[in-house]
Amino acid sequence: MNLTIDVEHNGAEKIVSLSGEIDAYTAPKLKETLLPLTQESEATVIVDLQQITYMDSTGLGVFISALKSTKEYNNTLKLVNLQDRVYRLFKITGLTEIIAIETDSTVRGGM
Amino acid sequence: MDFQSCVNIKKEWDIVGARQLGRDIAKKVGFGNVDQARIATAISELARNIYLYAGSGKVCFDAIDELNEKGLRIVAIDEGPGIQDVSQVMEDGFSTSGGLGAGLPGVKRLMDEFDVISRQGEGTEIKVVKWLR
Amino acid sequence: MSTLKLDLQTYKDLMKQYIETQNEQALYNAEQFSKHSIQQNISPDEIINVHFQALMELYPDVPDDIRNSMNFLLETMISYGLAYQEYQALREKQLELQSELSVAAKMQQTLLSTVKPEYNQLDVGATSHPAKQMNGDYYHFVEDQEGSLGIAIADVIGKGVPAALCMSMIKYSMDSFPEKRMEPSIVLEGMNRVVERNVDPSMFITMFYGLYDTKDNRFFYSSAGHEPGFYYSAKEDTFKDIEAEGLVLGVDRDTSYKQFEQQVDPGDMIVLLTDGVTECRSGDDFIEREEIAEVIRHYKHLPAQEITDQVYSHFERLQDFQLRDDFTLVILRREV
Repeated sequence: MNLTIDVEHNGAEKIVSLSGEIDAYTAPKLKETLLPLTQESEATVIVDLQQITYMDSTGLGVFISALKSTKEYNNTLKLVNLQDRVYRLFKITGLTEIIAIETDSTVRGGM
Repeated sequence: MDFQSCVNIKKEWDIVGARQLGRDIAKKVGFGNVDQARIATAISELARNIYLYAGSGKVCFDAIDELNEKGLRIVAIDEGPGIQDVSQVMEDGFSTSGGLGAGLPGVKRLMDEFDVISRQGEGTEIKVVKWLR
Repeated sequence: MSTLKLDLQTYKDLMKQYIETQNEQALYNAEQFSKHSIQQNISPDEIINVHFQALMELYPDVPDDIRNSMNFLLETMISYGLAYQEYQALREKQLELQSELSVAAKMQQTLLSTVKPEYNQLDVGATSHPAKQMNGDYYHFVEDQEGSLGIAIADVIGKGVPAALCMSMIKYSMDSFPEKRMEPSIVLEGMNRVVERNVDPSMFITMFYGLYDTKDNRFFYSSAGHEPGFYYSAKEDTFKDIEAEGLVLGVDRDTSYKQFEQQVDPGDMIVLLTDGVTECRSGDDFIEREEIAEVIRHYKHLPAQEITDQVYSHFERLQDFQLRDDFTLVILRREV
């Protein structure tokens, strides 16, 4: 089980592309990369989860910390391209209400 | 006979010098092959700690020859950053996890007496003794 | 020293015997000698030294080159000896930690123990199994003065000791609620403030709280991001999700929770669970929620407690008896 993290700096926009699985083993690595990005000044952090096939609650914990730190530094956090199983986790836990989540499939808008 | 000699540790090569001097003195005191090997290993660890973490310092040897006990005292002194948490460093598995060597717990096992005084920002002094039995 | 001398003598004799006969018996003795040495915590460098000394005593004329080579081997082995001793010390420490952990696990069991309530019209079953020694799941029954039954089920992110510590906090906070009727939304709002104040930002807890009114068989509930349970309708013989969206505890201190209501008919079941149940994996595949409902349906003729036990056994077997996450299942059924 592995997680690959790619960061692309596009001015204030930081695009973090993830691939693999986010669980108790890989979550610390994600946290180490993601948190400093959310603390840079005037940053918009966009996390692409298209290649994430599995995520457990530890992964949600990382995104919650990232959200809290983004707010603290007046920055923006956005999650994009979530697979159904991953999206469901955010939905059940109520996090879709407080984290900006964009999916290109318009189907989900109605959910 | 009671004398003291020191080896300055600045380069990795100095570790070998410290081992050599320590072994010579250990031989004179009367230690056998195994104890010589153990003492040399302890010296390596102490000298390597100085080389890696303090940059420079010295290792001193002192043959103990008293009425009913003989032995070797080794004192490693440096003026490096000091050890933040001695208890943690003395825990098994703490320093060895990086594969650096036996660490201070190893030195303690190799020798009979062991004492560390460390002040942050001032340096560390480690004193160990091996008794001849 | 005297035991080492004894061992040197033994070793020398064994070695001599082998050199003379080269038979299997002597080699078997050598095996026994090494086992005995391990028991006595004798490190490998000491064995080398014993070999060296035995060799010298048997063959005093060993050439200097061989003698030096033995010294070289001895020096090489000193660090192995140290590593071996460290391994021994760590093994002892591990045993110590293990026994400490099992004491803590027992304490936790006592702490989290809850009395399963007895009602004529309500059959209750509950089971909870930790993946490791300590449990990060929690369920609790509270009977209030007005004859209603409160059911709390919660899941702390992660597992093991940190999750268990967090769970104890939930338990104490729940105990401090007043004994009068506990409205699910108010319970969750209170718990949310407790969690928000007391845990690390990356830690969160999901919780479901239900209140079963035994007088008119109505079930009130709210959820803080908890894995949805199932509602089984006996009349229709169908399972539907108990949807009750709400934010997980500990993220935003001003969260309010919506409360829902369900009329419970005879034979109907309320199934509550943690995501340890839905995150079961069989091989690389996840268990779909429909499968869980099917397994429950399969056992639905049994008393509630037996259903929960059977469902647990089913998924335990499916995961080769190695739970990946804490597993908790609670079933309430209105009797006819």
